[in-house]
Amino acid sequence: MNDQTLIRMTGITKTFPGVVANDSIDFDLRSGEVHSILGENGAGKTTLMNILSGMYQPDEGETYVRGQKVNIRSPHDSLRLGIGMVYQHFALVPPLTVLENIILGFEGGMMLSLKKAEKKLQQLTAEFGLSMDYRQKVSNLSVGERQKAEIIKILYHGSETLILDEPTSVLTPIEAKELFRTLDSLRKMGKAVVLITHKLSEALAISDRITILKLGRKAAELDGDELRQMGHEAASEKILHMMFGDMPIAKASAVAKELGDQVVLGLDRVRAINTRGVVGLKAVTLTIRKGEIFGIAGVDGNGQKTLAEVIGGQRKIESGQILFKGKDISHASICDRFEMGISYITDDRIGEGCVPDMDLAENAIIQCYYQLPYSRHTVINNQVINAHADDLIRQFNIKANGPGDRAGTLSGGNIQKFILARGLCTKPALVVCNKPTYGLDARTVRYIQELLLEESKQGSSILLISSDMDELLNYSDRIGVLFNGELLAVLDRADAAPEKIGKLMFGIKS
Amino acid sequence: MAAEKLNYTVITPPLYSVLSILFALIMGGIILLFIGKNPFIYFGQLFAQGMGTSLGIIESIIKMAPLLIIAAGLMACFSAGLWNIGVEGQFLIGAMLVGWAGPTLAQVLPIPIYLITSAALGAAGGMAWIILPAVLKGKYDLNEIITSMMMTWVAISLVTWLVKGPINDPSVVPAQTALLPMEARMPMIPFSRIHIGLIVGLIAIIGMHWVIRRTTLGYQFRALLAAKQTAQHAGINVGRITIWGLLISGGFAGLAGMNDVLAIKGLFQSGWNPGYGMTAIPLVFLARMNGWAVIPLAFYFSFLGVGGEFVARDQGVPVFFVHVLEGLTLLFFAVSEYFEKRRLVR
Repeated sequence: MNDQTLIRMTGITKTFPGVVANDSIDFDLRSGEVHSILGENGAGKTTLMNILSGMYQPDEGETYVRGQKVNIRSPHDSLRLGIGMVYQHFALVPPLTVLENIILGFEGGMMLSLKKAEKKLQQLTAEFGLSMDYRQKVSNLSVGERQKAEIIKILYHGSETLILDEPTSVLTPIEAKELFRTLDSLRKMGKAVVLITHKLSEALAISDRITILKLGRKAAELDGDELRQMGHEAASEKILHMMFGDMPIAKASAVAKELGDQVVLGLDRVRAINTRGVVGLKAVTLTIRKGEIFGIAGVDGNGQKTLAEVIGGQRKIESGQILFKGKDISHASICDRFEMGISYITDDRIGEGCVPDMDLAENAIIQCYYQLPYSRHTVINNQVINAHADDLIRQFNIKANGPGDRAGTLSGGNIQKFILARGLCTKPALVVCNKPTYGLDARTVRYIQELLLEESKQGSSILLISSDMDELLNYSDRIGVLFNGELLAVLDRADAAPEKIGKLMFGIKS
Repeated sequence: MAAEKLNYTVITPPLYSVLSILFALIMGGIILLFIGKNPFIYFGQLFAQGMGTSLGIIESIIKMAPLLIIAAGLMACFSAGLWNIGVEGQFLIGAMLVGWAGPTLAQVLPIPIYLITSAALGAAGGMAWIILPAVLKGKYDLNEIITSMMMTWVAISLVTWLVKGPINDPSVVPAQTALLPMEARMPMIPFSRIHIGLIVGLIAIIGMHWVIRRTTLGYQFRALLAAKQTAQHAGINVGRITIWGLLISGGFAGLAGMNDVLAIKGLFQSGWNPGYGMTAIPLVFLARMNGWAVIPLAFYFSFLGVGGEFVARDQGVPVFFVHVLEGLTLLFFAVSEYFEKRRLVR
């Protein structure tokens, strides 16, 4: 153990229903370093740091601060221990000024002593070179400035440790550069900084150490200087290898499918605008044939969700054309598309996939409630929908007491099975799956993957959006890589080397 | 586990409602003590006169009709998570239209058709008065609480102006419409002094109970309330369902306006506003959106109003005291919800 070790976490394990988010992870942090945690989405980065900041309690494992064992029960506890976290979504009150936000919840007494606070802030500013107009209202600040305000707030309360969760995901490149300058000066002043990121180049640029997490486990801890000496190219290669592990060669023999020439879905230069924080699509063109599994690889938030919604009908397209079985469905409604044979299995199982407060029988008919035999002359037939839900539960081995169970009481894996069962029972010609196995236990993952494969053998086409490289390589006939809303490349299974895809995912062609 | 779940859902909710009523009465008694009245005498007379005499009981039952009709409409929009707070305005517009057109219609149409036309007119008036909030909510997601409440103030001013001018009956001094002849009033239930509005109310509330639970429309309402995003994702037209939910509630409020004009008042009068909206809203919540539970609760609330009026004369306690009781009931109900939530969390 190093003298400068500020925080040490040992054997941290945290499980959520159906998901092992952290599996016995060791992590330590020294004063005066930037320590990056790198990993895919769902690798457990944020969970680990949420444990350190008191948002979650670990199931197992211990945390030491300056050698003292501590029990962090709430964010307030962690703040008292000098640990502050800057979240992806900021926790500032927009109508208040920066100054008011900074002292919010901490100034004792009835009267606000703004003057005193301002003085202390000016000191901080001088120390770290962070300048800011504290009298500005937060609502007038840019995203970069808000982030800066958050950082200043944490410093103001005397934190020695700053945790930043994907800080650059909301910033412009120039703002990101400035943030990195700030982090550098914090490091020089002896603060410890944790940088959670899935951006390789960022981690490489600034880190003293890089911890790589893979599927909830610690895959490696690398030294930043050593990596930089290797050169960018070689270092990236090494990290990618660690992130995605020993990637299996696609088991081409596992799937022997005859793909016809019949095109089921065709996107022609489809453009879509994003909602905030979600990348849209920039002139995406692709075709999917009957019985084909078309994989979509990409780092989360590069347009995958937009692509799925454009096909499912949840999002309007700006230009281009979508053809389904030769018909133009560019502007068809969600219901029309569903009736024509498009099923969209969302990645947001609780928020979009089900009504947690309704029972399984009612959840089972969310897209077909108006059709026979589920209802006749607008009257829902309870017997029929109960029997239907019962069928789904049996056929797909869903763990539930019966159709009367509320959807929200099922485990994540079983909710996903149920949503899949509902989407597949209509024998759709096209299934759009957005991260169908994300966060599920290995057995369920396998079950769902085989289910989709079986479905494709029976002639359904599947658009498989996934952040699991193994899944894509093992099950896709072709793989397209989305980066920043663009389909950078479409690779045949035979050409789809993991390294090649890994690079494309980070926008590196060649 | 199944048995426990059943027990919980069947027994506890009514228990909470009954307890809320009891606590409200106790609290009301304490308030009476503070203003120097004997709560035992007050409540004794309240119950004796409101529920102990046939006059009290019949009056209470008659007053149930508008509450039941309005509650039916509110159940529709509440089941979709929509807040029509402007029931009073819709009620007044429906009542005004019927008061204005009723005398003419009664002369030219056979009585059954005249009754049906009046009902349609009242409902149309109520719907018209919520169409703006409904469309604003459905199309632009503008807060319907504010818009529907504001529309009530517009309605109050509008009907006052109309009844003093354009639709005034010039042959009498008060600002009111022409009085409906007795044969143009709502018929009575045979062998009783209770008009058929009660039947309409009972059918409406039980019908709505069934519609919400068993039809595709109710299904869409409930999906909207429980998980709007999921509903949207599945292709349910959220905007359209929102508009329908509000229109239905407005329609029933207008229908209640027709009921009161044809059955109780016989005309529309300036300054008349029974304020059913503020009674019906807590009513639906106390009943937990259960149509069957609305019926006894509607009787209780209606009895409070009637009994309170009787006792006010004897005891010198203002009639508004029953509104205090209503408010307290809702307050205790909110407290019980809090306890229930904590229980569910554990």
